[in-house]
Amino acid sequence: MAVRHLNVEVRLEPDVAVLDLMGEINGFAEEALNTAYAEADAKDTKTILLNFEGVDYINSTGIALIVGLLAKARASHKRLLACNLSEHYVEIFNITRLSDFMSVFPDEESAVVEASVS
Amino acid sequence: MSDPKPARTDADLRRTLAEFAVPSEPGNERLAMERVTEAVRDLDIRGENLERLKTAVAEATMNAMEHGNKYRAEVPVEVMVLVEDRDLLVRITDRGSGLPPAQGGDAPDLEAKLEGMQTPRGWGLFLIKSMVDEMSITGDDGHHTIELVVHLGAQGGK
Repeated sequence: MAVRHLNVEVRLEPDVAVLDLMGEINGFAEEALNTAYAEADAKDTKTILLNFEGVDYINSTGIALIVGLLAKARASHKRLLACNLSEHYVEIFNITRLSDFMSVFPDEESAVVEASVS
Repeated sequence: MSDPKPARTDADLRRTLAEFAVPSEPGNERLAMERVTEAVRDLDIRGENLERLKTAVAEATMNAMEHGNKYRAEVPVEVMVLVEDRDLLVRITDRGSGLPPAQGGDAPDLEAKLEGMQTPRGWGLFLIKSMVDEMSITGDDGHHTIELVVHLGAQGGK
C-alpha cells in the first residue's frame, strides 16, 4: 500500500492562518508539517488552525508531531485550533488530552468564528 | 437411541481468519491494518469499533517493526487473526530478543511533553490499550507477541 505523503497548503484568513492538511500524518510528514507551521507562524496572526479535512490517517508518530506544534504554539503564545477531524480522531484527541490544549471544531467556519471573537 | 454429541474441543471454538507477514518497512503498518480489516469483514465489527481495531493493529505493527525488528525490511512482522469463542484475537509477532516490553500503556504526561521535559513520542502502547478490550505482551528469546482482544457481540468493543 502506497503511503500518501502529507501535502500542506498555508492560507491567511482575517484572524487566522490556516494549514490545509492533505494525506497521512505519520513519520514521513515531519518536514512538510514543520515547514508549513513555520510559514503560518510568520503570518503574524494570534491563531493557527489545523484543517484535517484531507487527512485519513494519523498514527502515534503523527500525534507526536502535533504535540510538537502545540509546544511551539505555547512557547510563542499563539492559539492552535483543529477542525474537520473524523469522529475517530476526535476520540483520539480526547483520550490523548490534545483537545484539552487545542480546541477542536467540527468545521472551519466555527473555528474561524472562535478565532475572530477571542 | 442416537449417540451423544462429542464434546466441543478448543479447535471447534477457534477459527483462523488470516495469517500473513509484512516486511518491516516504514508505512507497512497500513498494510497490516488493511489486511486485518479484510479478515474481519464478516464479523460484527463496524463503524467506530472497526476504526479502533484498525488503530490498535497499526500501532502494534509499528511497535513490532520499530522496536522488535529495528526496521530491517528482511525481518517480517507476523500477524494472525482468529476468533476464539466470543473474542476476536489479533496476534502480532516480531523477532525482538530479550525481555518483552513492559505491558505499559499508562497515559503519557502531555504537560511534560509540552514543556519539553519528555519526548513528544511514546503514545503507541497507550493508544493500543485504549482501543481494544484487552492487550497483553508475551515473549521468549527470539520473539515478542502482542495480543489484541476485542469482545464480539452486543457487548463487544470499547
